[in-house]
Amino acid sequence: MDSFIKLSNFSKILPYAQLFRQGMFVTVLLSLFTVVIGFCLALILALMRLSNFRPLRFLGIDKNGYQRETGVLAAISKFNPLNFLATAYVEILRSTPVLVQIFIIYYGVFGMIDLPGIQLFGFIKFDRFFPGVVALGMNSGAYLCEIIRSGVQSIDGGQTEAARSLGLSQVQNLRYIILPQALKNILPAIANEFVVIIKESAITYTIGVQDIMSAVNAVKGATFVIIEPLLVATAIYFCLCFPTSKLIAYFERRMSRGDKR
Amino acid sequence: MATRDSLIQVTDLKKHYNMGVIKALDGVTTNIYKGDVVVVIGPSGSGKSTFLRSLNLLEEPTGGSIIFDGVDITKKKYRDASGKTVKLNVDQLRQKMGMVFQHFNLFPHMTILDNMILAPMKVKGISRAAAEEKALNLLDRVGLKDRAGAYPIQLSGGQKQRVAIVRALAMEPEVMLFDEPTSALDPEMVGEVLDVMKELAKEGMTMVCVTHEMGFAREVGNRVLFMDQGKLLEEGSPEDIFERPKNPRLQDFLAKVL
Repeated sequence: MDSFIKLSNFSKILPYAQLFRQGMFVTVLLSLFTVVIGFCLALILALMRLSNFRPLRFLGIDKNGYQRETGVLAAISKFNPLNFLATAYVEILRSTPVLVQIFIIYYGVFGMIDLPGIQLFGFIKFDRFFPGVVALGMNSGAYLCEIIRSGVQSIDGGQTEAARSLGLSQVQNLRYIILPQALKNILPAIANEFVVIIKESAITYTIGVQDIMSAVNAVKGATFVIIEPLLVATAIYFCLCFPTSKLIAYFERRMSRGDKR
Repeated sequence: MATRDSLIQVTDLKKHYNMGVIKALDGVTTNIYKGDVVVVIGPSGSGKSTFLRSLNLLEEPTGGSIIFDGVDITKKKYRDASGKTVKLNVDQLRQKMGMVFQHFNLFPHMTILDNMILAPMKVKGISRAAAEEKALNLLDRVGLKDRAGAYPIQLSGGQKQRVAIVRALAMEPEVMLFDEPTSALDPEMVGEVLDVMKELAKEGMTMVCVTHEMGFAREVGNRVLFMDQGKLLEEGSPEDIFERPKNPRLQDFLAKVL
C-alpha cells in the first residue's frame, strides 16, 4: 500500500524551493506592513472610542447651567459620533470573515482603482500585494483597537486625576501619562497579534498574493503532489511563528520584572 | 492669623447621584480664607472626599456654587470683568489648586525629577533648566534631593507622598488640597508626611485637608469642619470641635476616634 507521505515526492518539489523562499519573504513583509498599518489605524480608532467628543452636549444642560440627570435630552447630549463610528467599524470588522473582507477590498474597492503593475523586488506583484496589505491591515486594526483601548483603560484612574489636577489638558494627559504606560503594558499583546497576522496572511493567496500558500498551490499544479508541499509550508509557518512567540514571552517576562504594582 | 480674604466661597454645594437618591453632598456652605488650614473630618462615606474633589472639579457638582478667585467654577461659562461671556478653563483653574492623593499617584514611568518638571514645563511653559532647578530645591526641602533620579517604585510610601506634595507645589498653587494623604501609609511614615504639611502651614499656604489624623487637625488646623451624610454639621476652631462639640453625631464620632 502506498504510504501517506512519500520521501521521493520531496525531491520532486525541490526545484521549486525558490518559490517557497520568495513566499516566506512575502509573508513576513505582508505581516510587517499589516501590523504597522493596523497599529496606526487602531490608535486612531481607540482614540475615537475613548474620546469625549459630544457635540450635542449643550442639550443636556438645563437653564440654570447644570447637567441634566435624566430624560431624552440628557441621553442625546451624551451621544459621541466619533465613538459610534469607531465602534461600528470595529464590530463589523470583527463579526465578518476576513476572507469576505479581502474579496470586497480586492474586487470591490481596488476593482475601481487601477494600481500600477510594478513588481517589488522583482517578483512581488504590487497590484495583488497592496490590496492584501490594506485588507489585512483594516482587519487587524479592529482587533488592535480593542487591545489599545483595554490597555488605556487598564491604567489606574488616579493617574489621570493627578495629571489633570496638575493642570495638564486631556490631550497632554493622554500623550505624556496614559499612552506611554498603556503601550508598555500592551506590547506583548501587539506582538501576539503579529504572530496571528503571519498565520492569517495565508488567506491572501486567494487574491493572488505570492505568499507561502501560493507556492504550495504552484507546486501542486505543476507536480500533482499535495501533501508534501503542505508539510513544507507547515514547517515554514511553524519556524516563523514559534520562535516569535517564544521571543515575545521572553520579553514579557523581562518587562514585568521591574514593575510590580 | 492671616488676612480674612475669602479665597473659596462654597454655597449650598450639592452632588447627587441617581436622581437624588444618593446625596454625596447635600448643601454644603462654607468659606475658605487665604492662609486657612481647614481640616475636614467625619466618618467614612460622609462626603468629605467628594467635597474636596469638587473644589477642583474632579467631581462635577450637581448644584450650588463654588466661587474661586471671583469666578463661579461650577458653571461652564462666566462673565468676565468687561461683561464678556468666557468659557471656564478648567485646566487653568486646576493649576492654582495643588492636589495630593491618598495613593500618591506618582507617574510610575518617570523619574522623580521628571514627575516634578512635567507640569511646569508643559503647562506653564518654563524651560527645562529652570524647572529642574526649582524641582531640586523643592526636593531638597523635603530631604529627597538625592532621590531625584529614582523611579517611584524605588521609594517608600512616605517618600512617595512627600514627592507628591512637592510635585503639586512646583506649580505654585494658591491652595493645596489633601485627600487623606496619610491613610495609605505605614504608621511609622505618617510623621514624615505630616511634618512636611506642618511646614507648609507655617509658611502660610492655604490648605484644605481631609484626614483621620486628629492630632494634626488639632495642632495645625485653624478651622475644623465636621461632615456626615453629605452635610456640614459643625465647624469651628479645633478647641471648639474637640473640647466642646455640640452636635451629638460629632460627639459620637469623637468618642470613637479619640
